[in-house]
Amino acid sequence: MRRVNDILNTVRMLEEGNLDVRTVTMGINIDDCANPDIAKASVSVYKKIHSCAKDLVSICNSLSTKYGLNIVNKRLAVSPASRLLEGHRDKDGMQLARALDRAAADVNVDLIGGYTALVHKGITEGEAILINSLPEVLSQTKRLCSSVNIGTSKAGINVDAVRIVSDMILKIAAATSDNNGFGCAKLVVFTNIPENNPFMAGAYLGAGEGSCVINVGVSGPGVVKRAVETLVKDHPDVSLDEIAEVAKHTAFRVTRTGELIGREVASKLGVSFGVVDLSLAPTPKVGDSVGEIYQAMGIAKIGAPGTTAAVAMLNDAIKKGGIFASSSVGGLSGAFIPVMEDHALAEAIKQKWLTVEKMEAMTAVCSVGLDMVALPGDISAATLSGIIMDEAAIGVFSGKTTAVRVIPVPGKKVGDFVDFGGLFGSSCITNVACPDGNEAFIAHGGHIPAPINSLRN
Amino acid sequence: MIAESTRCVISLLAPDRIGIIQRITSAITDMGGDIDGMSQTVIHGYFTVILTAKFTQAYSKEQISQAIQDNFHTNEASVIVRDFEEKAVDIPKQSDRYILTLTGRDRPGIIKTVTTYLADNNINIEDYYFTIQGTQVTHIGEISVPEHIDIKQLYGELQTLVSSIDLVATLQHENLFRVANDIFSIRQLFKMEPCDE
Repeated sequence: MRRVNDILNTVRMLEEGNLDVRTVTMGINIDDCANPDIAKASVSVYKKIHSCAKDLVSICNSLSTKYGLNIVNKRLAVSPASRLLEGHRDKDGMQLARALDRAAADVNVDLIGGYTALVHKGITEGEAILINSLPEVLSQTKRLCSSVNIGTSKAGINVDAVRIVSDMILKIAAATSDNNGFGCAKLVVFTNIPENNPFMAGAYLGAGEGSCVINVGVSGPGVVKRAVETLVKDHPDVSLDEIAEVAKHTAFRVTRTGELIGREVASKLGVSFGVVDLSLAPTPKVGDSVGEIYQAMGIAKIGAPGTTAAVAMLNDAIKKGGIFASSSVGGLSGAFIPVMEDHALAEAIKQKWLTVEKMEAMTAVCSVGLDMVALPGDISAATLSGIIMDEAAIGVFSGKTTAVRVIPVPGKKVGDFVDFGGLFGSSCITNVACPDGNEAFIAHGGHIPAPINSLRN
Repeated sequence: MIAESTRCVISLLAPDRIGIIQRITSAITDMGGDIDGMSQTVIHGYFTVILTAKFTQAYSKEQISQAIQDNFHTNEASVIVRDFEEKAVDIPKQSDRYILTLTGRDRPGIIKTVTTYLADNNINIEDYYFTIQGTQVTHIGEISVPEHIDIKQLYGELQTLVSSIDLVATLQHENLFRVANDIFSIRQLFKMEPCDE
């Protein structure tokens, strides 16, 4: 007989804590589809994706029924598409992108990542084709997501690439202006990009991965919030280390359910299981918010002094619980702070409690970076470059992943409201405190060298 | 008369007190019996145990029962001894274990309603228990669902059935509860028999 409390606690995680598996992401290596004829390469890509992923959704759905556990998204992540564009012409990017998008639609997945270029040291012709195609590709495809890696702790920061990508972000926003610049929500600018991240828009299959692999992203902000809230309610004088302990134990359970699903999907498909990414990924739904966890911990106004400490403590507790739960933890694995996708964070932006600068500090101790932040449409490329370089500096110099996914919303100014709907959510437009004055620094271009790895004070 | 080297099934019901298991197992062991299975529980102060044992000497069921009774006060314990008949056990072998939970306002007849449905669908109940808090009750059934049964349809029918008596049902494969509450390697799960960790 199982202990009654074990069963009831597990059921409550699902029923009251909104525990779900946020994404089952199949990584597919498409390098073998390269062809001097882009039409033939595109056909090969379509066929390979269809062959690998045709049963992914049905298997996920059957496991969802078996475990009474919602698997919210089924996604694909291919090896960097830029490699297939080497030796091709500018317009070929769009043809390849359409093949990827169509394949994703035909196997019924939500999104496909991997329209990716790794340019932290230099930019190849294929990578330039990919980056230059982004405004057209992200405005004319539905499911395709893109990522560009502009820095690593080994290579430093490619400032020339940062400048190019910043220009592209403004062009993507313009190309999708009829949808408030939504195309920018499908592009992540990374530093130290992980090779096995299952979350979008930054998922791609890294060079060190196998030919086909299942990675899983769990999601349990509601479960953690409920556990912390209950603890604090029952014991108002509880100490922070006891709160960390509860978060850690909860992360253990959440991670285990994710690994169960991932391994079973991989087993049924006859492919490798990769990692479970234990990131706390919110949705705009009330009760499924990372911001609500900070509120439950006692940060009533997210952004107030102490918020960074709360983020650090939660992020660490989640990692500790997850790492004990599974030997296959990877990806980003921390606490996300995607503003538009989290109603509590979006409210903090609206109230001006939370600023870009405060978020920058928070990203130094949490999972990703400035994520789903809506900015004024007239923001300059230099300002965007500065934002990206600041985040990249945190990542490069502290040896962690950071990223920027910001949306300059055409025609909107600070305080205006933008709503993308669904999981992408909504928020007011925010701004950087000092948006200019960095132009000469950015204009130098070149490379910020890789950091020294000793004398680390 | 139980033949040499055979198994029997023994159950006992008695008001709970310290030493019941010691008394019953001592009686069996002193007769040369080897206990190879045992499960017990207590409800509202009443203790019951079921066990299986192999005997190397020939005893009648009455002799075994009397030997156990002799370790208790008169009329304190009810004892049943039966021959172990493997063929008498009629449980579908190819099945998956699921956890069924029902929550809502307590009322008479819940167990009958649910167990009738399960029996009609050839679903074995391996364990069933419930807790009551005020007027609210939570039933938990550990059930073996034959492989041919469609889980989605089963869950739908159970939801419909219990909603008529104002209960909410959940149905989930046992492995979810195993991984969420135990610390064994999940990789081993796919190599293990149910509840073998």
